Parts: sequence; structure tokens; C-alpha cells
Amino acid sequence: MWGKGILNGMRITMRNMLRGPITVRYPYERVTLPERARWAVEVVRDESGAHKCTACMTCVRACPDHILDLQFTTAEDKSKHIDYLRYEMGACMMCGLCVEACPFDALKMGQDYELAKLTRDELTVDLLVDVAAAAPARAKKASEVPAGGTDDSRGGGTDG
Amino acid sequence: MTEPHFTVTESGLMTPEGMYIPGEPPKGIRRIPKGVDRLGTEHLIVNMGPQHPSTHGVLHLIVELDGEEVVTVEVSIGFLHRGIEKLAESRRFDHLGTLMDRGDYVSVIHGEQAVALAVEKLMEIEVPAKAAWIRTLTAELTRLASHLVWFGTFGLDTGAMGQFLYAMRDREVLLDILEEISGQRMMFNYVRPGGVVADLPTGIESRILSFCDTFEVYLEEHDALLGGNEIFQARVKGIGVVSKETALAFGLTGANLRASGLGFDVRRDRPYDAYPELEFDIPIGTIGDSWDRYTVRMEEMRQSLRMIRQLVGGMPGGPFTAKVPKVLRPPAGEVYASVESSRGETGIHLFTDGGTTPYRMHYRAASLFTCQLFEEILPGHLFADACMLLGSFDIMLGEVDR
Ligand code: SF4
Ligand code: SF4
Repeated sequence: MWGKGILNGMRITMRNMLRGPITVRYPYERVTLPERARWAVEVVRDESGAHKCTACMTCVRACPDHILDLQFTTAEDKSKHIDYLRYEMGACMMCGLCVEACPFDALKMGQDYELAKLTRDELTVDLLVDVAAAAPARAKKASEVPAGGTDDSRGGGTDG
Repeated sequence: MTEPHFTVTESGLMTPEGMYIPGEPPKGIRRIPKGVDRLGTEHLIVNMGPQHPSTHGVLHLIVELDGEEVVTVEVSIGFLHRGIEKLAESRRFDHLGTLMDRGDYVSVIHGEQAVALAVEKLMEIEVPAKAAWIRTLTAELTRLASHLVWFGTFGLDTGAMGQFLYAMRDREVLLDILEEISGQRMMFNYVRPGGVVADLPTGIESRILSFCDTFEVYLEEHDALLGGNEIFQARVKGIGVVSKETALAFGLTGANLRASGLGFDVRRDRPYDAYPELEFDIPIGTIGDSWDRYTVRMEEMRQSLRMIRQLVGGMPGGPFTAKVPKVLRPPAGEVYASVESSRGETGIHLFTDGGTTPYRMHYRAASLFTCQLFEEILPGHLFADACMLLGSFDIMLGEVDR
């Protein structure tokens, strides 16, 4: 019978009306992200604020979009000093490949999903801006790393 | 209207300078209305898209109309071209997935799976059973999520609004599950050569099963709400018939091919991952009209649910990835691997030269073949049906333009 389907559709719509809301009233309510959620790249820091990066460049080479930019200077005693680890959030696809590649677990994917910025410049952040705070951890790490340990087996070849 | 640059004559083109180009006018110059109809009014050229909600992306159709009737159609693609095939030549094999994610961005796992299968075939990597099952599970979840987008927007194209919201409600739950498994809601980057990135999180099985239970009810509601609606039926039944011969000639695959009555499904006919161990039916249509395409896809969703239940129930133990070297270096050679994505056969043709990146990667996108069909199928239909027809074929411009 013509019209039966339409009436049935209205019945379904009515039933759905009684099922209660399914949306989250952001920003009054927030969703809890699952543990594995991947947002912007962050640096792992311990309680003292020290990071674990040894400037091995693995992440820089692993990033398919060449977003990470790491500059370091080698002092006379062969110790590396990181000038900056620049990260361009606006161009990052949050794939997590840099985090997977880091042999020292110095990076992680953040869980902050409110990443809007007012200006374009704010999208480029320096992940390792406080170099001084990292010095002790770096010394410790450097002594742990076996010779050739930072040898980048994943690197190279990204440019074909 | 500006003066046309060319004058179209019966046997060729006349340029403004009076030069005569004999022969059938080339396609790109069809934009001048060709015919004059019986009432003596000129045909009208309508540019549909690329920014048009019912072209499902950035498809540009140059449609010549005689009143309400479509006379010719020219499909113009490439507005979403990002050079994925070229970029692939500078990506390592385990990073190709990030590119494929952006090909068919609604049916993401299938692209990643195709690349992974191709690399595994080349390197002869044995994938552990668990990895294959997890992949198949995520692939079927993605198929449901993708078909729900099709279902919602197909309704919109025919003028129905309600079921779109309900489809998005169910897709939301699916995306939450996939986010919990892979870490992201759209660009999962989860399948790699050799297996998957991480094991299934604890407790996900019960979530998937409870989704299956609720969705089973909702799916029947969806079908009743849209498919049971007589107005919808009147709009889709008998419209856009694709015969078996046309479907084959244009290289259609997936639900569009099966709606025409040909039962080819990569999952069954060239089985990969866990599909050989699963029980599922392949729905087949009869005449290949829009209604058949609708029923075939709805039935596919039911079959996906059935498969998901089997996959969760029979998930084997063991490692979630094979032991693969950090830098993949397949031997020089050539390989083709394909999967059944939500839109048809998604294939990857890889040429390698023994290096760490592909020498050349070809991406067989099912939607590209469907797109070519429009020039054949749309003429003769009403303009309003053209939007509905685009919806019924479920094309994805991300994979057409790649
Ligand atoms: S998440 Fe991906 S795109 Fe972003 S910096 Fe890391 S590797 Fe590059
Ligand atoms: S891979 Fe890790 S340790 Fe190496 S440079 Fe990147 S963040 Fe630092």
C-alpha cells in the first residue's frame, strides 16, 4: 500500500526521538580519548623536565612529510647540543611514524585535541626549547648508548 | 554569455579566424551547446560541481540539458589531485600507508591493506594468523563505516534527510571503536607490511559485539526508513540501469558490478588475509538499476556484521606482526595485489628496483572506472536523477584523483 512505508518511517523517527541524546555538549562536556589517540607530537619529559632526545636524527628522517627540523652543534668534546627541534604542527598528519621510529622514546603523540591557534606562526613550535634542562639526562643517555647505537638503520632513502 | 571561440558545424569546427578543423569536435570543446531542440530553444550547458554537495567531493560534470533532460555529460576530474602515485616513489614501503589513507579517505584500511599485501607478496613475508584476522576485522568495520556514509548521502541525494543523521550516529560508534584500535578516526595508519601496528586493545571485543547487537536493529530500521519509503522507491527503481555488458566493458567492480548480476568479489575470488576462513554470502542484483545497487549494499552491510561476529569470536592468538626488518627492501620485481574495498577492487601495482622506495606505484581506484560510466549512463535521464545516480554509484573523488 502506498504510504505504508512513510508511516513506518515516522514510527521509526518517533522511536529515535525517545532514545535520548547521543551528542556531547562540548565545551561543557568533554570526550575521553582512548589511550592510543594520536594528536600533536610532544616530547616526553620526566619530573625534572628533562627530555631524552640524543639528536640522533631518526625521527627527522622517518617523517614522510619532512616536518621535523633538528639542529644541533657538536662541541669539542664530541657532545651534541641541540639548538632546536622544530615541529610544524599545521603540516603534520599525526601519523605517529616519528614516535615509532625514535629509538630513545623521546617523543610521544599528545592527547590534547584543542589545537587551534590564533596565528599561523604559533603552529610551528620548538619542541626542545629549554636545552639547559636537558643536559643531565643527555649526559646519562650518552653514556648508556653503545657505540653505533644511534646508527640509523631506518634512515636514508626517504628521498628515493 | 561570452562569444564562443569555436563554431560547431556538422562536420567540424570553425575557429574565429575562419580556420576549419574537420572531424568530430574534440571532447573538451563540447561546452558549446550542440543541438537545438524541437521547440527551437537552445540546449543549456550546466556546470555541476566541482563545489557541489551532491557530487560527493570535487567532481565536475559539464552537463548539456534539453529542458530537464540530460543530453550529454562530460566528466572532468583532477580537482583533488595530490600526486599520490608520484609521492609514493619517495616513500619507504612501510610509510606508503599514509598516502593510501588519503586516497580513498572513507575506506581507509583497504588501501593500507592493498599496499601491505603487495609488499608482503614481493618479500614473501608470512603474515601471522592474528595479524590477518585483525586486518580483516578492521577492514570490515571500515566497510560498514564507509557504507554508512554512502547510505546517508544517497538518501540526501534523493531528498531524504533523516536517515543521514541516523547513519552518522552509527558511524560515530564505529569510528570510536576504530580510534581505540588504531589511534585515529580517519587516517588510521594501522596496517603495515607484515601485520598491524599494535594488538587489539583489551576489552574491544565486547564493545564491538555490543555495537553489532545494537546496529543489527538499527540497520533494519535504516532499511525500513529509506528503502521502505515509497517515494524513495519510485525515485530509484528502474533508473540508471547498467547492463552486464556495460558493467564489464567499463571495468566496474564491487557493489556496482554485483548489482548488475555479476558475482565477482575479490574477497571470495582472490581471497586474502582471513577471508578464506570466513562464511559470508555475496549479494547479487538482477537488472543493475539504482534500486539493485541500494539493496546490494544494504545486504553487504548485513554480511559485514556477520563476518565481524565470526572474526571477534574466532580471533586466534599469537603475534600481531611478522618479524620484518626495520627498513624494507623488497627484491627488484613487479607485483599486483588487490583487495575488495567499499567501492570495488582497490589494487596496487608495485615496481621495485631493490631499493627502499618503490620505483613506480600504480593505484587502481575502483571509482575512476565508475566515473567513466557517467558519460554513458546519465544521458537520457532527468537532471534531478543525475544527482541521485551519482549517489547510487558511491564514488570517492579522493581515490579518483589521487
Ligand atoms: S606524526 Fe607523522 S607527519 Fe607528524 S611529525 Fe611525526 S612523522 Fe611527521
Ligand atoms: S629520534 Fe628521538 S632521540 Fe633521535 S632525534 Fe628524534 S626525538 Fe631525538
